[in-house]
Amino acid sequence: MKVGFEIHIQVNSARKLFCNCNPKNEDISHLEFRRRLRVSSSELGEIDPAAAFEIKKGLDIIYVSGDKTSCLVEADEEPPHEPDPYSVEAAIKVSNMLNAFVVDEIHFMRKIVVDGSNTSGFQRTAIVGLNGNFDFRGKNVRIQTVCLEEDAARLQEKGEGHSKYELKRLGIPLLEITTEPLEISSEEARALAESLGRTLKLTGLFARGLGTIRQDVNVSLEGGGIVEVKGVQKLEQVSKVIDFEEKRHKMLFEIAAKLKERGVNEDSFEIDPIDVSEIFKSYANPTVKKFFKDSAMALKAPGFKGLLSYETVPDSRIGLDLADICRLFGFKGIIHSDEILKYGFGNDILNQIEDRLKVTDNDAYVLVFGDKEKAALCLQMVKERLKMAIKGPVAETRYATDKGTTRYLRPRPGASRMYPETDIPTIKITKEMKDKFKIEVKSWEKAVEDFSFRYSINKEMAEQILDSDFIDFFENAAESFPNVPPTLIASLIVQVFIPYQNVGKNIEYDEFIKLIELFSKGSIAKEAVIDLARYMLEKGLSLDNALKEMNIEKLSVDDLRKIIQEKISEVLQENIEPTKLYGTLMGRVMSVVRGKIEGKIVDEEVRKALESLKKD
Amino acid sequence: MEKIQDFSKIKFRIKDQVYEGIVMPRTLYEDEDHITVKLSNGYNIGIEKSKIEILKIEPQKAQSEVIQEKEFESHGPKILIIGTGGTISSKIDYRTGAVKPAFTASQIVDMVPEIKSIASINVKTIMNELSENMQPSNWTLMAKEVHDAFESGYEGIVIAHGTDTMHYSASALSFAIENPKGPVVFVGSQRSSDRPSSDAATNLLGAVTFAAKSYSPGVYVAMHASLDDDIIAIHKGVKVRKNHTSRRDAFKSINARPFAFVDIKKQEIRFTENKQEVKGSMRLYEKFSERAALLKFYPGISDKYLLSIFNKDLFDAIIIEGTGLGHVSRKAFPYLKDYIRNEGFIGMTSQCIWGSVRLTVYETGRDLLSIGVTPLEDMLSEVALVKSMWALGNGFNLKEIMPKNLRGEISERREVQ
Ligand SMILES: [Zn+2]
Repeated sequence: MKVGFEIHIQVNSARKLFCNCNPKNEDISHLEFRRRLRVSSSELGEIDPAAAFEIKKGLDIIYVSGDKTSCLVEADEEPPHEPDPYSVEAAIKVSNMLNAFVVDEIHFMRKIVVDGSNTSGFQRTAIVGLNGNFDFRGKNVRIQTVCLEEDAARLQEKGEGHSKYELKRLGIPLLEITTEPLEISSEEARALAESLGRTLKLTGLFARGLGTIRQDVNVSLEGGGIVEVKGVQKLEQVSKVIDFEEKRHKMLFEIAAKLKERGVNEDSFEIDPIDVSEIFKSYANPTVKKFFKDSAMALKAPGFKGLLSYETVPDSRIGLDLADICRLFGFKGIIHSDEILKYGFGNDILNQIEDRLKVTDNDAYVLVFGDKEKAALCLQMVKERLKMAIKGPVAETRYATDKGTTRYLRPRPGASRMYPETDIPTIKITKEMKDKFKIEVKSWEKAVEDFSFRYSINKEMAEQILDSDFIDFFENAAESFPNVPPTLIASLIVQVFIPYQNVGKNIEYDEFIKLIELFSKGSIAKEAVIDLARYMLEKGLSLDNALKEMNIEKLSVDDLRKIIQEKISEVLQENIEPTKLYGTLMGRVMSVVRGKIEGKIVDEEVRKALESLKKD
Repeated sequence: MEKIQDFSKIKFRIKDQVYEGIVMPRTLYEDEDHITVKLSNGYNIGIEKSKIEILKIEPQKAQSEVIQEKEFESHGPKILIIGTGGTISSKIDYRTGAVKPAFTASQIVDMVPEIKSIASINVKTIMNELSENMQPSNWTLMAKEVHDAFESGYEGIVIAHGTDTMHYSASALSFAIENPKGPVVFVGSQRSSDRPSSDAATNLLGAVTFAAKSYSPGVYVAMHASLDDDIIAIHKGVKVRKNHTSRRDAFKSINARPFAFVDIKKQEIRFTENKQEVKGSMRLYEKFSERAALLKFYPGISDKYLLSIFNKDLFDAIIIEGTGLGHVSRKAFPYLKDYIRNEGFIGMTSQCIWGSVRLTVYETGRDLLSIGVTPLEDMLSEVALVKSMWALGNGFNLKEIMPKNLRGEISERREVQ
């Protein structure tokens, strides 16, 4: 199996690639506008199946523009500004670092993307470096390209008939580093992504934190198409996704063999969707009422009987891909003949559909309910997808789920969807720039060592923090609260943040900074920091609410002294040996104040109290 | 190194790496020391010629893009779409990145297939000018074409035009064609039609819809009403102005509401005023004189400048964009007096853009009136200029015709908006 990566990493610039917005600003107000993207029909299909697919879906696109994080450029209402010099410099530095050939002129291209994630209908991207290499476990991994490109808008909502995108992320400069596909195991692939990611992070040129680095993984088996899996954000997903794809590819080869056996070939697909609304109109059973509104379209799936629901790993069946295609068209899903019995339409209906479609022994069929024209278009796409199954795994774009499986996204775009961006003049890269824009990166081991030394934390923790999305949090907290031991902040990240992030929890930095502040004032104990953090994330609570619910009162030193005095009088009445006095007293006091105040303070106060007792 | 023929297949070496691609044409602004190569992944890169060692060149014939006119059927009122140039009627050559004119019926139908069911369309390209290059002679040509098209039975005309001076042309045709038989709708695009987000298609759709379905004779401009893609505003040709360099809603009606709005999705036209009745038969006054000028007054304007403009040997009419309610500095008075004494016409508009001039409020205004300056109410300065060129060209008495409302260029009342 061959695996390649496209690593996308956000450049840590104070502006966007083609305008002067800073995405880190806070928006005061938001404005929405509504758009539709078009590609002329003669260019559809011929030029780019991915673009054709998006346009055919015919969805409205709503954009949300924040006043401080996006401007007329992101709204596609103003031509792009000069490319961000800092990002150009970063791209040259990284190209140099990866021993790539730096081009002499940067030509920005338009990569047509019409799902709405770019207001213009294209993403601007340019090659800066070519043919580099990266040393990984003694292997020389070839870096095909280093590209400088703009990030896309973030999908906020997918409704029926519309998609809503937020413009804050649109235009943030990204470097895209593409590795040449390698024969490699899933575990090695994960390690490679990790190693390359670490090297990039150490340049200091990139933003840190959640979503600032993501990888697309390309997977192919001999004789099959290349499947691109988008949006793999966590390294743990990488090996899972690759393993899943390997099994899915093998399954698709099996299915292709079975189809061949059944005599299915390209000619078998000279069929069209058929309107079967009439059949449903004469029935009114509850199932029909539930699904059938205005029309129903059906398509024969020649030779696919039993193959639409066939799967070797959960969620790998073709039926699911077909349902995903229909969902992309705004339908709730599809019903196919491998599963239709469980819905309870009644045999009468099923027989009539089979008659209309001329379904024979080995055939399956697919049903879509909803707008007739759209359903017909959608079933044409379904037909294309089915036709591809003759060949086994085909080139397509999928996305990674949290489970580590992948789902259908769109057909794989071809090279033809690239056009010159005429709004941006070419940028010359002089020899002086090539010589000057260089960067030295220390080894990961050295970086971990330095980090662990600097904050007096152990290396294991140092590495986990450097690898995490929380390095900014760590540095910020450690610098702001010098009296808080960095190991505590490190434990908070390693023991709480990382595991909770892995199960999909969102970590609100501000709340946890407050937590550390509370500790730095001595108002809560060390143990309470971790417990509270866990409780907050477990229950989704703010710090204040967690404090209330956990019954943690913040104890003042004065209160502590009162408690110590109480306990001293108790203990004194019990005639305890002087050598055991401290231990007993400490135990009694802690049983009352545990978690409410730092243990070290209790210790100090208890000793002080015993000292003054002796004097008396 | 010799010039490598564009579109040649090339194989070359840089250091120890071999690359393959296609040699792309360089634009005028790019030097000759580099070549642009399109790699197989679709990306273009620029490389210094001296750096590469050519291994193989295979010259290829530049595939000239032959535009195949396809047959199509369209239904509805007979509409003529006239191409004049500009962003809306040009197309990017995807291989070279150059923008070239392309405006044929089948391309329009290809871009906006919905049109086929709205109108039965014909397309005629009469010129190919960027809007900044438009001249009064171009207005004359457009006016004649429109006149002839109505005479030959078209029910509406759509004129695709560059946006920069579209409001000048719209104004020119408003005056040149008295009582047009149907709607004449100017349309442009602010975002080039080579991008999927272009406003060209919806603007065109709005223009054709209005031309075919509004039954409102007159000259209009159809452009986006807002940043949304679904509502197209229809402005009167004599009340509209381009107010933004790049936004798709750059065109606004000034001192008036847009005449109508077209809802693209619903295919509905919503009027904001009563439709105009045709009062007489169509008549063409197609001449324009270039002996008129527009002067923007500003503090510190030099005597030399004033002297060169207020020169009856050069100009028969001067439209002033005065300050505020229609003022110029006292120091300019002698030049104005002299010019009027020599039978020159001076019309006053305001650089405030919104609002009407009023020369009776302040002393300066009253002085200007007594000098013989003609206040032009709330007429836009650009419209006043075009109107004076038209009045001069067709031999009208300016003092009489300029302050008279001929085509709706002067509004008697301005609504609170
Ligand atoms: Zn911006």
